[in-house]
Amino acid sequence: MTSPAPRLVARYRPAQRLIHWLGVGSFLLLLLSGLALLFPPLAFLAAGGLSRLIHRLAVAPFVLLPILYALLLPRQALELVTESFTYTRDDLEWFKHMPAYVLGRTKGLPPQGRLNAGQKIHHASTFLMFVSVAASGFVLWFGVGRLGPTGHALAAMVHDLSMLGLSVLMIGHVYFTFLYDALSGMVTGFVTEQYARMEHLRWFESLTPAEAAAPASAAETEPAKEP
Amino acid sequence: MSTRYAFSIDLDRCIGCQACVVACHAGNELGAGEAYIAVRDIVRGQSPDFWGSFAHQRCFHCAEAPCVGVCPTGTLSKWNGLTVVATEKCSACGYCTDACPFHVPHIYNNHVSKCRACLEAVQDGQLPWCAETCPSQAIRFGEREAILAEAKGRAAALQSRYPKAQVYGETQLGGLGLLMVLLDEPAAYGLPENPVIPAAQTVWQTAVQPASAGLSALAAGVMGLMFLFARRQHAREKAALHGAETAPAAEAAPAGEPEAVQPGEAHHD
Repeated sequence: MTSPAPRLVARYRPAQRLIHWLGVGSFLLLLLSGLALLFPPLAFLAAGGLSRLIHRLAVAPFVLLPILYALLLPRQALELVTESFTYTRDDLEWFKHMPAYVLGRTKGLPPQGRLNAGQKIHHASTFLMFVSVAASGFVLWFGVGRLGPTGHALAAMVHDLSMLGLSVLMIGHVYFTFLYDALSGMVTGFVTEQYARMEHLRWFESLTPAEAAAPASAAETEPAKEP
Repeated sequence: MSTRYAFSIDLDRCIGCQACVVACHAGNELGAGEAYIAVRDIVRGQSPDFWGSFAHQRCFHCAEAPCVGVCPTGTLSKWNGLTVVATEKCSACGYCTDACPFHVPHIYNNHVSKCRACLEAVQDGQLPWCAETCPSQAIRFGEREAILAEAKGRAAALQSRYPKAQVYGETQLGGLGLLMVLLDEPAAYGLPENPVIPAAQTVWQTAVQPASAGLSALAAGVMGLMFLFARRQHAREKAALHGAETAPAAEAAPAGEPEAVQPGEAHHD
């Protein structure tokens, strides 16, 4: 039971938000500069190697994201990975309600923890495709000229399909964010109590008043802003 | 009707003098170490029974050119049977270097480097530098039909001395734009008997690439439309919840399900 709860509930720490937006920035740069080689109207970006330069510069923050997460917030990073790959009976129940949830109905959803089943599968697939897009990208980068026609085509297919997957996941992610007004969690770090109750009731009920007020202020002192 | 041009190289006439290599380098103002064509010696057998010839490494101007197929920027394209290069569009991605079955295109100084068939000269009605320069008439250039007929005649004439003499390139990859009069089997010159575009490359080009772009765009469109509907649905639910916050009487749920958004006993341990 939660006692008189605040209207706003703390959800993401500053370091989590930093990593999220670093991921957004580098992913969008990679997507756009990559599209220069896929979408003819953008081919002018590729002339002279401009899009390639952008692509390779954006690779650094992108592939460092998981390492940065593990360094800044080791406990939360581990929690994210284990939660994303652990599914319970409740999650199955959630998937049955998913079609209605996609269309804007939360009613009848089994109460969810910090991550709902959809978020878990989103994170898990993002993680797997992150690995395949990065691996095939490095093969294309460092193997160019030595892959042969079949090798190059296979690596390019893995790269393209991983990006297709990641793009669809991103579109879905943005969709749910704006459908359920969840953006503030990643901007200010706080979500409305209403959102927390509707979408993550088990998580909301497990929070201590101090945690709900500001998890970042207590133990965690914004490590991202120190240097 | 457009013309279909082609080169031919008669390896019986070639004397390996490298004049074509030098003329190409000078005429195209290539950089230091850059080369569109290379001529090397092939020697087989043991003394005193030598067999020697020259192998030319240069663009074959395939009709169905794999390099043009994979080029994402339109740098490589076909013009009257020739594979021409718009260097200013090149991103140096290197896709062509992997796709070419003859290992011809290379990346030099941040752009693709391969024979451009001296496009400006040809458009001017002149011969490419190599054909213009060749002192033994081994390199010919002109309309493909005439070039092919001439090459076939040469191969037939050579068969008395070289039983395996043949024309290479009549049908490969839709017909090559460089026909070679060989004195032996293609393998003797390191040429693939039947170069093909591998299935993986076709699948990538014709299915995976368009699908990746198309399905992403489709997903964005469909979800955009769904959003309009779902957003209204959610607004109704929120309005109902707002009423329920003070008096926990839920909005009429059609299936009579328990109000899931009420904090209370968690049916989970």
